[in-house]
Order: sequence, then C-alpha cells, then structure tokens
Amino acid sequence: MRKFRQLTIPYLIWALVMLLIPMALILMYSFLEPGNSIVHFRISLDNYFRFFTDKDFLVILWRSLLIALKTTIICLLLGYPIAYFISRCNEKLQGILIMAITVPMWINMLVRTYAWIGILSKGGLASWVLSLFGIKDAELLYTETAVLIGMVYNFLPFMILQINTVLSKMDKSLLEASADLGADKFQTFWRVVFPLSLPGVVSGITLVFLPAVSAFFIPKLLGGGQYFLIGNVIENQFITVGEWNFGSSISMIMAIVMMLLMMLVRKLDKKSGREDM
Amino acid sequence: MQTKEKRIFGKIFMALAIIFFYLPIVFMVVFSFNDSKSLTVFTGFSLRWYETMLKNHSMMESLYVTLIIAVVATVVSTIIGTITAIGMVYSKKWVKRFIQQVNDLPMMNPEIVTAIGLMLLFITFRIERGFTTLLLAHIAFCIPYVMLSVMPKLRSLDPNLADAAMDLGATPWQALTKVIVPQIMPGIVSGALIAFTMSFDDFIISYFTTGQGVKNLSIMVYTMSKRVNPSINAISTLVVVFITIGLLLANIVPIIREKTKKKSQQQDGTFQKRMGKGPKMVIGLLVIVLAISLFSYKKAAEDNKPFVGQTLHVYNWGEYVGENFVSGFEEQTGAKLVMDNFESNEQMYIKVANNESYDILVPSDYMIQRLIQEDLLQPLDKNRIQASLDLLDPNVLDKPFDPGNEYSVPYFWGSVGIVYDKRKVDIEDLEKEGFNIFLDPKYKGDIYLYDSERDSFMMALKALGYSMNTENPEEINDAYNWLLQCVQTMKPEIVTDEIIDNMAQGRKALGLVYSGDATYIMTENENMGYFMPTQGSNLWSDGMVIPKNAQNVDLAYEFINYTCQYEAAYDNSSYVGYTASNMEAQDELAEGEFAGIDSYVPRSGNPKDEVFTYNENTRKTFADLWSRIKVAASNAAD
Repeated sequence: MRKFRQLTIPYLIWALVMLLIPMALILMYSFLEPGNSIVHFRISLDNYFRFFTDKDFLVILWRSLLIALKTTIICLLLGYPIAYFISRCNEKLQGILIMAITVPMWINMLVRTYAWIGILSKGGLASWVLSLFGIKDAELLYTETAVLIGMVYNFLPFMILQINTVLSKMDKSLLEASADLGADKFQTFWRVVFPLSLPGVVSGITLVFLPAVSAFFIPKLLGGGQYFLIGNVIENQFITVGEWNFGSSISMIMAIVMMLLMMLVRKLDKKSGREDM
Repeated sequence: MQTKEKRIFGKIFMALAIIFFYLPIVFMVVFSFNDSKSLTVFTGFSLRWYETMLKNHSMMESLYVTLIIAVVATVVSTIIGTITAIGMVYSKKWVKRFIQQVNDLPMMNPEIVTAIGLMLLFITFRIERGFTTLLLAHIAFCIPYVMLSVMPKLRSLDPNLADAAMDLGATPWQALTKVIVPQIMPGIVSGALIAFTMSFDDFIISYFTTGQGVKNLSIMVYTMSKRVNPSINAISTLVVVFITIGLLLANIVPIIREKTKKKSQQQDGTFQKRMGKGPKMVIGLLVIVLAISLFSYKKAAEDNKPFVGQTLHVYNWGEYVGENFVSGFEEQTGAKLVMDNFESNEQMYIKVANNESYDILVPSDYMIQRLIQEDLLQPLDKNRIQASLDLLDPNVLDKPFDPGNEYSVPYFWGSVGIVYDKRKVDIEDLEKEGFNIFLDPKYKGDIYLYDSERDSFMMALKALGYSMNTENPEEINDAYNWLLQCVQTMKPEIVTDEIIDNMAQGRKALGLVYSGDATYIMTENENMGYFMPTQGSNLWSDGMVIPKNAQNVDLAYEFINYTCQYEAAYDNSSYVGYTASNMEAQDELAEGEFAGIDSYVPRSGNPKDEVFTYNENTRKTFADLWSRIKVAASNAAD
C-alpha cells in the first residue's frame, strides 16, 4: 500500500518544525554568547563552564536529583502496595478503585497543588493533625517537606497505574503453580510476582522521576521563593534574568542528565529481565 | 487468619490513600464557600467568592480558553496522529525510526525543555505569542501520545487488510475509513482521551508559549496564587463539578444504553465493543463544553459607546487595580480590557524587548528611563493628557527619570520600608539599627526579604551608608557581602507578594515591603507597624507609558485619562493600599480610610531618600549578584 505512505508527509514536516528545530535552537543558543551591537554572536562553551564551575548551581542540580529520587522512592513504597491491593480485588472493585485514583488527575495540577497551601500553612489542617500527636506549631509550608508532599501527591497516581496495569494482567495460575511447588506467600511474591511486575515498576519510576526533577511550580508554590530546584533556575533565567543563552545551556545539561539516567534505568531493567530467565 | 489481617491492613492503607488523594479537593470545595479570606479557618457559609469569580471575566475567560484549546488540540492531534500512524505502517524503515525518535523528544525530555524550545522557536521566527502559538504547542505535544496509543492496535492488525478491501472494490479512502479506522478505534479513543487530559492539565508548556494576556486555567492560578484569593477555590470547584458530571454521565449513559439494548434483544457483540468507549467520551466532552459555554461571559453589544469591539492590552503589576476598575473602564468605553500581570520590572522588560505588543505598560521609575533610552516608548501627546496631569499630586510629577512627563503618567507611588510586628520587635532596635536589623541574630528565622534585586541592594547599600545609585564596584561588593551574610546567617524567606498575606497574619516579625503593601497589611492587622530607617530609602513611582508597538493608541490615551480620574484612582488606591497619584483621592484616603496609617503618605524631607536611576552596567551586576544570592540562600537552607 504505497499510497498510504504519503500519509506521513505532513507530519514529517510538522515534526521537523515543531519538535526538531526547537531542540536545535536550544542547542544553538546554549553555545552562543550575546555579543555587543557589532559582533552579534560568538560561539563558546562559556555558558557550560559557568554552570560547572559554580558550586551553587551544582548543589541545586544535586538537590533536584535528590528530591526527585526521594519522591520516586516514596511513590514506589506507597504505590506498589496500593497497586497490589487493587489488583487482588474483584474486577468490579478494581474498576472503581482505578477510577477513584484517575479522577483527581483530571483536575488541574496547579489547582490541586494550590489547595495544599491552605492545608499546610500554620493553623491549617496538617498542623492540627500533628498537634494530635503532640507536635505543636509545626511549620510545614515553605519547607522541603511541603515540596515533597506536593510532589508525591502529584506523581503517585502515575506509579500506581503503571504497576497496576502489569499486576492485573498477570496470570493468576502462576501464583497457584508457585504455591503448588511449595513456595510460601513471601517467596511467591519475591520470586514470582515482583520480578514479573518490574516493567511496570520501571515505567512508573520513569513517569515519576522525570517530571519531579524538572518541576518548578510545586517548589515555587510550596517551597517559597528561597527554595530553588533546577527548574526554578531555568525559569528564572528566561523569565526574569533574561540570560537566554545561559538558560539554554542549563536546559541542555538537564536534558542530557535525564537522558543518561533513563538509559541507565532501561539497561538495568533489561539486565534484571535476562537474569530471571 | 493471617491473610485476613493483611486484607484489613490493605483496606486501611487503601482508604488512607483515597483520603490523601481527595483531601485537597474536598478542602478546596469547602473553602470556596468560606465567608472570610482565610484558608485555614472556616468562618461561615457564603457565596461571595463565586460572585467575585463571575464578575472577574478574565477568570471566566481562562476557563473558556482552557477548554477550547483542549478540544481543538484533541481533535487535530487525534486526526493527524492517527493518519500518520497508519501511514507509518506502510513506510520505509528509516521513516518509522525517524518519527519514533522525534516523537520521543517531547515524551522523554523534561517538559520545561520542550517548553523553552517552543518559546525560542516562536521568538526566533518572530511569531507573536498568543492564542495561536498556545494551540500549536498543545497540538505538538499531544500528537506523540496519540500515536503511542494507536500504534499497538495497528501492529496487531493484518497488514493485508487494506489490500483485501481494495481487491473487493473499495477505494483507498474507503479502505481507510471503513476498514482500518474502525478496527483501531479503541486505540484512537484512548489516544484522544490522553491528549485531552494532557492539554487540559498543561501548565509548563502553556506558560512559556502564550502571550497577549491569553491565559489558561493553570497560568491564571499561577499568577494569582501569590496572594490568598479564595475565588481560585471557587473556579476550581466549578471545574471539579463539571468533570464529575462529565465522568458520571460517561459511565451512566452506557449502562442505560446496555439495558435498553438488552430489552430489544439486538445484541451485536462487536458493535458493542467498538462503540463502548467512543460515545462515552464524546458525551462527556459535550457536557463539559455545553456547561462551560453556558457560563462563559458574553458581552451584550453596546452601540453608542466609542470603542465597541476594540480591545486594549495592558501589562500591569499583579493585584494593582480596584474591584470595579476593569468593568468601569469597559462600561465607559465599550471596549474590552485585557490585563496581563507581571511580578517584576525585569520580567516585563523581557517580554517588551521581545516585541510582544501591549498598549499600556506600568513600569517603575528606572525602568521607564531604560525604556526611553532604548527607544521603546512613544512620546505622549500633551494635549490629550494635560487635563489629567493637572489632577495629580505635584510631588510625583516631573521626576528625573522622565523630566516634564514626556513619556509617562504616574499611576501609584510610595516608599520602601520595614513592616514589623509590634509585639515581637523592639522599636529601639529598629531605630538604632535601621536596615541592619536584618542582620540582627535576635530575629533569625523571623524575617522576609522581597525578591527584587533593586530593592534588596537598596537596603544593603543604605544600611552601609552608600547611595543606592552607586556605580562604585567596591560599594556594590560590600552590599553583596551584606546580603550574603543576611541569607546565610538569618534564614530569611525570599518572597514576592506572598509577604502581604503572611505579614497580615503575623507569620514573621520583620519584612522588607513597599509602602502600599504595608498599608494593606496594617489595615488588616493592627499589631503591625511600618518603619522607614533614617538611613534613607527608595522613593519610587510607577507610571503608565505607551510602547512604540502599541496597536490601539487612542484607547491607550483613554485608559490613561480614565485612571487619573478621582473615581478610578480612589477605587484602585483604597482596594490595593498603594498611594494614589490623584491629589483628591490621596487626600481623602489619607484622612479617611487610611487615617493613622503612616505608610500611606510617603515621607518627604529626608535628604538620604533617593529615586532610582537606570544604568546598564549596574543593572547587569545587580541581576547577576542577586541571582547568586538567591542560589546561596537556597543552599543555606539545607
């Protein structure tokens, strides 16, 4: 069906303009230095040097990766049991629970994050709950904990849904076979269920980690103006400082770091898959 | 026994998870009905925030924009995505690989990188950012997701299906629409659903690709979230209600249809399967569209007004107009007023320097000077504004940044000082230390700085006894070290407008604020005081200017004249707390509503008080050093 081949032509042009050229532009800007009015551009690596020689920027990059890692781990620890629980329910209940987790995702992320401001601020619901446990006058808003709560809240559903998709498709007879062969519940879980659910875990990790590293409105809303993640640095460069070349190079650095990490995760996934065979 | 216990544990865990997911939503809905402004204490039931929301047509419009963009982007990206996916099946390998790789870009890259790429694209090719660019950007990031969900269905399809159809006499078009598309319908529907959710929810990409005051819901919440504004809760509740209705209908309608179908005994398995999800979603969408278009603000045509059908684009500070200002202007002129907000002069400058067109800007003194120097402003026609200038306080006219008011007409003015909690701060400390109180360990962890490079350096330079317009590198370096010491030892929070509500609630003891915000804080909380150090301060003013690329100059003059009148000035000033330039409004407020609040009328007579002047070199230095200080503050917090 050669004729159908032509169907891709419009999109090839579109993708070139809307997806490829923008990336090329970031790359280009990141190597340029704004010149004076006579020399317009100068190609240099200065923007990259500036980032890697400034301890402060590196600390922020490290902090962003760290908080994304914390978010991912918490999401995994909370999300896996939830996904597992859902997958063990009967089909009708499964549908309802999945629905219950999906519905909040339809409501705007910013709006939901904004709602946390009231809960976490002094005298709010969170400090009331903490006071029941004897912690008085807890200040949660504008702390790293607040940012962490905001991130887990926003990204946990992705983790649950990814893991649940794999778990609910798993052949139940495998569990029976494992039990028949003398494995106890614990062994069945760690030797059979968990390895088989790894693809879901990996895509869950990807879907949580990636947006968590580059998040900038969650830290801004819940962390306050003095809490910076790499996304805030980039936003700051483009919106208020106006140094687009430097901003572009930070974006490039972030994109590359993310790409490397994702490749690592995928590689680990493949490796663990092979070992189990 | 053990398994039963586990199930109970699981159930509790599940219940907690559901509570966690729904808590903020319930919270939001409850507090949208709160009688007071508080987000923590429910004082009584009221619908006032819904009223505010309905009156604020930029809020209603953001809902409308969100929806239209989501619907159009979903339809377009679903069509293009499906067609391309089908074409790919029959394409050469390199084409397949290329498309897959390129599609990975928006999916695997951090969203902010995609957003910046698109922004650079539009700016480099001089495409003015606005509704169209927003739509293009949304289509761009939706298509890959549509293709991702269509491709697996296509792969499981027999590649000879189309040939078979055509052998049987179908045209290629028929083969496509009658054979292939129905087979992959579930994939198309779920792709469309993902596209809709992504577009409806998007913030980051929209934030960087929009312009001309076009805002979707996310951007609106982001720009409004600086100050407590329960009407955000009201509009969010509206969204929650629409979505719930949509989802309920989408799930109930198929059940009803199934029942009627069973009755008529006409079951067709494949038909059922094929049609299961499609209409569900279409109905859901339609309900949402209908509901919102019913609510969307439609203006009745008023023929006798001079500017009917025209639009004025104003770029102003956030929360800088009174409650009735916009509607008053629209009523008088018949035109539509689109107000876009900025947080800092620098943020405004970047947009203007990138050729984004507005009819009116409201920058501060030094920024007006810069815009004049860079030839970005139109000189004002004195004949058209002289009557308005005569109404203003002479103290705020003819300033060094714009002698003779050739380019600007004052809007608000004031000073910068320290707002303090009288119960926590010893007034003697303030009198003795002035701005150096921000280095006093006694108040560690109890201070707010304001996120402004200019005024932070002003504070530091004044504390050290220098001029705030100094060009001496040593003095600037001293100021840098002063600020560095402050952020590293005092654990300040660096905020912008959040300071207003937080100080009004007495969260911290000290904060650097603009006089107008202090006025608002002091009317809300009588324990708060305003102190201006004798070391001197910044006497600033913000003025209305018309940029060179303004599109509606006549209406811009109309805006300037309207703003200078007593009624508008009074409304703005009494609502926001900043000092009115209109003499009559200022006098009346100083003796009436704001009587006894010393921040309302700026101090005169201290020779150390200055007005900022613009200097390109020091601007760069300040900008660079301030971003370093913020980074250092962020790292000191660990």
